[in-house]
Amino acid sequence: MKNFFPKLSLNKKLALLAFILGLIAIFAGNPYRGSSVTLDTKELSLIVDKTVDHVSAEELADWIIQGKSDFKLLDLRTEKEFNEYHIPSAELVPLAELNQYPLLRNEKIVLYSEGGIHSAQAWMLLRANGYKAVYMLFGGLEEWADKILFPKLAQNATPEQTTAFEKMKEVSKFFGGSPQVGGATEEVSSKKPMPKLEMPTGGSAPTAGKKKKKEGC
Amino acid sequence: MNTPFFKYGLFGDDVSLVIAFVIGIGFGFFLERAGFGNGRKLAAQFYFNDLTVFKVMFTAIITAMVGIYYLSVIGWMDLSLVYLNPTYIVPQTIGGLLLGFGFVIGGYCPGTSCVSAVTGKIDGMVYLLGIVVGIFIFGEIFPLVSNFYNSTPMGQITLSQLFNIPYGILVFAVVMMAIGGFAAAEWAEKKLGNKIVEP
Amino acid sequence: MSSTSNEVQHGPKPYWNPYLSGMGLGLVLLLSYVIMGRGLGASGAFSSLVATGVSAIAPEHAKANEFYNEYLADTTKSPLKDWLVFEVLGVLAGGFISGALAGRIKKTVEKGPHISVSGRLLYAFVGGAIMGIGAKLARGCTSGQALTGGAVLNVGSWAFILAVFGGAYMFAYFFRRQWR
Repeated sequence: MKNFFPKLSLNKKLALLAFILGLIAIFAGNPYRGSSVTLDTKELSLIVDKTVDHVSAEELADWIIQGKSDFKLLDLRTEKEFNEYHIPSAELVPLAELNQYPLLRNEKIVLYSEGGIHSAQAWMLLRANGYKAVYMLFGGLEEWADKILFPKLAQNATPEQTTAFEKMKEVSKFFGGSPQVGGATEEVSSKKPMPKLEMPTGGSAPTAGKKKKKEGC
Repeated sequence: MNTPFFKYGLFGDDVSLVIAFVIGIGFGFFLERAGFGNGRKLAAQFYFNDLTVFKVMFTAIITAMVGIYYLSVIGWMDLSLVYLNPTYIVPQTIGGLLLGFGFVIGGYCPGTSCVSAVTGKIDGMVYLLGIVVGIFIFGEIFPLVSNFYNSTPMGQITLSQLFNIPYGILVFAVVMMAIGGFAAAEWAEKKLGNKIVEP
Repeated sequence: MSSTSNEVQHGPKPYWNPYLSGMGLGLVLLLSYVIMGRGLGASGAFSSLVATGVSAIAPEHAKANEFYNEYLADTTKSPLKDWLVFEVLGVLAGGFISGALAGRIKKTVEKGPHISVSGRLLYAFVGGAIMGIGAKLARGCTSGQALTGGAVLNVGSWAFILAVFGGAYMFAYFFRRQWR
């Protein structure tokens, strides 16, 4: 038995190795870690602290305009609200259905709700389930409306603010919003109808059923 | 240790392209070492003279399969982060048949034809040109075939999920099938007069 | 196995033991999974190339086509700045290195004795075209579908592997003159 192994040809040694590894595999268990993940609370609080779990409205708008398709945008509100208005390319996922919704753990996921509470809850839920790349739209849809759809320029704006606003105007128009110059500050934004849904026509907006680019061959 | 590194955001897209190049070098190197830059050697597989294609391919598959399995079991790799090409069973089977057909006519597959072309084989270069034209044809007829292309979707599914057999047992079964196949291949090569194609 | 004597070192060196080169290939694939979480590929790079070409000549036409558009969708970067494109460039480099080290780089046409050079080249072209169509229909080729998916027990990949071998053996008889 002692000189059994060295006597074998290389091919047989390799075959024996493969056989042993295969045999152990029967008893080694399931390679999928499943849903019993332990949360690294320290890591989580660090993430929250550094706010790297956020995507600003401007960033998201940029992504959509550029036609980036490497992320999934999830709308956590009700169907009625979704049908009234949603950010282009978003998919409707009520919070209760989030666990059953087909998401990949390696996908970049951006969440938004009306304010920020629902998306924060969903963020925690997904992180607990082992999804790594989950982001929230900072300030939710409210912020989106303020910053992207109806940006305002105060009358006493600095030159920097004006240039930023000029840039924003284009973005806003792309999403069918209406930028406002001057005017009284606060009450203008109070009741503006959301733009119609079919608005992002110009440019290279991704089509509704956008696909993630294949990673395969 | 958490792998896949890229999915944990250890580096960005630009670095990943450098890694792609380095991994490609390894891929091309071993393809050429195996003799896959030679159309005669590849085609000989289908006349039972030289079963190198089968041996190399399945050795590669079981090596990677066993490696991925153990890395995941000991918790160094998160298998759910690994990309799984979605299954569309009928178009993939028909595509496979076409590919086999093209293989035996042309003598290469896309990866091996790269190695063949770069080691000076003119047929490999022409074959590469053929692939480009073929993909162009597919692109042009895509509106006509897109329904078929997207038919019979099964989602991202593994054999383990399909047959409801534990992953580890399947790993064992595939290894056993491969070893059995290798033994049969060695036997067949001896029996059929061992016309191994050399460079 | 083919440990032929090293006395004659002219001519090209013999190929490696298939199981060793297979293990090498498997380890490269494993490395790709460990580092990137994805496997290898080849035909996808050519799709990016074709999509780029079509979009350069007829941008409207390319945009209207769902297949090309998949490779062009991300307008933040060139479709050629793609993982698979760089990987295939690596394959070209790696193949050249291995071939050069073993003295196997030679301008030649691989064929059987009973077929003319132009006949073989025609076959290579037609085979490549069929392969291109098949690879796209199957969402991958022998590298991207068979090797890569095979190692993670992907259902479609194993159906594909069986189909490739099945298809090749089915038609091998009709093309034997090319090779034997």
